[in-house]
Amino acid sequence: MSGQELHIPGLFYLCAAAALLSFVYQLRRAFVARIGQPEPRTLSLAEVLRNALVYGLAQKKVSSRQFGYASIMHLLLGWGFMELFFATTVDFLVERNLLVALLPEKDTPWFAALNEVGGLMLLGGVLMALFRRHSGMRPPILPHNAFAGRGNFLGDTGILLVLLFLAVGGFLAEAARLALEAPATANASFVAWPISLAFSYPTWVVWQPWLWWSHALLALAFIALLPQTKMFHALIAVANVALTDRSQQGQLRPMNITALMEDPDAAPDDLVLGAARAEDFTWKQLLDAQACTECARCTSVCPAHAVGSPLSPMKIILDIRNDLYARTLGDGDVRPLVDGVITATELWACTTCRACMEVCPVLIDHIPAIVDLRRNLVLSEGRPPEEAAPVLEKIAKQGNPWGFPREQRLKWAEDAGLELPLMADKGQTDILYWVGCAGAYDPRNQQVSRAMVAIMQAAGVDFAVLGPEENCTGDSARRLGDEYVYETVAHQNLKTMGQYRFNKIVTACPHCFHTLGTDYRQLGAEWEVVHHSQFINQLMETGKLTVSGNVTETVTYHDACYLGRHNGIYDAPREVITRALGPEANLVEADPCREQGVCCGAGGGNMWYELPTEERINLMRFDQLAATKASTVATACSFCLIMLDDACKVRDRENSIQVKDIAEIVAEGIG
Amino acid sequence: MKICVLIKQVPDAGSVLRIRDDESWVEEDKLVFTANESDSYALEEALLLKEAHGGEVIACTLGPERSRQVLKDALSKGADRAIFLHDESFNNLDCNGLAKVFAKVLEKEHCDLILCGLQADDTGEAAVGPMLAQELHLPHVTMVVQTELLDGGLKVKQELEGGWFRQVETSLPALLTIQSGINKPRYASLRGIMAMKKKELRELSATDLGVPATELAPMQTLQRIYVPVKTKETVYLEGAPEEVVAQLVDKLANEAKVL
Repeated sequence: MSGQELHIPGLFYLCAAAALLSFVYQLRRAFVARIGQPEPRTLSLAEVLRNALVYGLAQKKVSSRQFGYASIMHLLLGWGFMELFFATTVDFLVERNLLVALLPEKDTPWFAALNEVGGLMLLGGVLMALFRRHSGMRPPILPHNAFAGRGNFLGDTGILLVLLFLAVGGFLAEAARLALEAPATANASFVAWPISLAFSYPTWVVWQPWLWWSHALLALAFIALLPQTKMFHALIAVANVALTDRSQQGQLRPMNITALMEDPDAAPDDLVLGAARAEDFTWKQLLDAQACTECARCTSVCPAHAVGSPLSPMKIILDIRNDLYARTLGDGDVRPLVDGVITATELWACTTCRACMEVCPVLIDHIPAIVDLRRNLVLSEGRPPEEAAPVLEKIAKQGNPWGFPREQRLKWAEDAGLELPLMADKGQTDILYWVGCAGAYDPRNQQVSRAMVAIMQAAGVDFAVLGPEENCTGDSARRLGDEYVYETVAHQNLKTMGQYRFNKIVTACPHCFHTLGTDYRQLGAEWEVVHHSQFINQLMETGKLTVSGNVTETVTYHDACYLGRHNGIYDAPREVITRALGPEANLVEADPCREQGVCCGAGGGNMWYELPTEERINLMRFDQLAATKASTVATACSFCLIMLDDACKVRDRENSIQVKDIAEIVAEGIG
Repeated sequence: MKICVLIKQVPDAGSVLRIRDDESWVEEDKLVFTANESDSYALEEALLLKEAHGGEVIACTLGPERSRQVLKDALSKGADRAIFLHDESFNNLDCNGLAKVFAKVLEKEHCDLILCGLQADDTGEAAVGPMLAQELHLPHVTMVVQTELLDGGLKVKQELEGGWFRQVETSLPALLTIQSGINKPRYASLRGIMAMKKKELRELSATDLGVPATELAPMQTLQRIYVPVKTKETVYLEGAPEEVVAQLVDKLANEAKVL
């Protein structure tokens, strides 16, 4: 920065001050999330800085093999932009002889070269983005490709053009400066220097003021308008990732309905139950909504969206943001969120599979937001999905979603002639085997429960079951938004288990596993819960269980959402399979698998109702698994087993493919 | 419009029924109880009529202490108040006795409409509704599958046998027994459950009602409860088609005596 700014003293500072004022005034947008409900954060400053560095500056979650082109594009854009911002600041200071001791000297060759790299990165990223958005490769779910939309001043293409002009203008202004000042190290600017040689000195003399001022004014306008444009994410998304507690992500907000019910002063009409307006969400949920960059990765991996359901996780988040801006900044009209801009069908279609959260580059918690909206429908309006209402009543009455008699919870064992030790008789045990409703009542899963008993008996495990005292964990009730039924059954379970002494809880159902181990922690549970994949794997690893596996069949493993994405357990079930089948077996991976594995369609209460869609999620997933040519599809989840077994029948593949739980595969190799 | 809904608490459909040793009734201690199914539809119909035309919905039940729950559920779903008829002397009432007790309460309430479920899922007599209408000298329609409020009266669709229906018009006040499936019973919201706690739930005993025990003496008594005895048997006829036909003709002519 030199030359013409000196001819009109102070004009640049005047413009810069105006731009900064505008920027600061617009920054009020960053603080509108304060209308939200309180949400405690226990992050240390070190964690906040680490998050900002890892997920903000380093863009860890932006980089993804799944979204390769977009990842490279954004890394170029982001890092190029950051480098230029840094370089401009340094130049500004160097020009004014500030912080001389800390900064490189004017026209230091390596610094000049670095800045050229920054400019090229920005230019490359912008061109990639423009190409992606205006060619056939644009993902159809990207919300808009025009110059304005969704309250984004300039829109997506508009802001890209501004960045393009900034990048090109920057090179031209620099070329002009080099031409006029001709510093000895000019050739370090390996882009601007050749440009400067392309025109004569008199030409640059004429053009230099224009180039400098147009570049400076565009840059200032960019700063002035930044919070109103999509580029606001560069600030708000970094703030959001910095304040995200990674260990708490995906957890549903505790409501403490029990205390509410006992409060004599609670006025039912004034209660906020779940969320129906922006201010009903927590400040962090609102910050999430503000941080959304509209990249649509969430929607592109949503299994409900893939089968033609109207659910788009991105739309839900943007609807919340629009409501927030409408209520706080007066941007647009305030319309009812649920049944206004979001339909109940969208909310009920979510299987809470966490695929959206897994791919979100800015760490948005979609599931808790969707469940909060569901809570409002159920707790405030009494409107669960029609087919789910009797299920919730059955959970409350008989303690299981099928409504089978509570006293027949052990019929699966009695029918097989198994006499299982009861907690009520033993009082204490090493392993409390949590059978779960599916394991107790669903015929297919009863086989898994029997396999589990065979395994534990073979390994000499000291275990006991609760039998008729066992109750639904309330997983489906909680994901369906019925916190009242959930807390009711949860407190019953906590009371029952509080009477007994045990070292660990083992369960074959990832939903029970997650609810007992994670959800119940909010209610004070401190026990250790282990999934049967981890438990069996450990029995085999320590030699307590030996399996004579010499199977030559090909097996593929389907990742359960509540085991994989929700709890990070990917390897244990795979190790169980390879150990059980022996060295000859062939474990093949489905595409996609692990973190990107596709839901079976039953989570989040979807087990209990059907919504009209073009295809069923379980069929879509089964086809992906069948494409591996495996003769066995292994699961480690009660719901997945039911859904994939059904899909196998619908696809008429029963003769060629068997769907089995990993416990069944292990039990087959015993004795 | 003032509507009273009669609701009976019955064992949940998922219950395992065990007969008492003395064969007088089923063991109740392990049972889970719930509102009778068709009564839930009657309650929903009352709530829908109230929402469309205004007025008040009263829920009423008679039974042991545990049956108070069906009234709480009704209040949670939107009934305005509830009446709980609870007395030692009510324990062994037959349909006639039940109708008499309900009549004692309802003659003071002056309801425009009394709704009952078609029949109780446990005893299945379908009698209390019509007998109560008789006690109160009200017109009644059974097996109602649709209601429509007219000026000063009511048009209802009644289910007959063999897939037939008929339209009936009745003056008000009247009593209807509601068939399951007439509507979609609502789910109680937490807001409703919390509001329930502040609603009136009045408990009345035989003394409060002023019904002398002599009037309630049962006209019918339950002799014995038992599981139906299997009396039919399926026989597979085997052999070549000609032989099977011959056997079949023989059985139809000589055993079934239909030929």
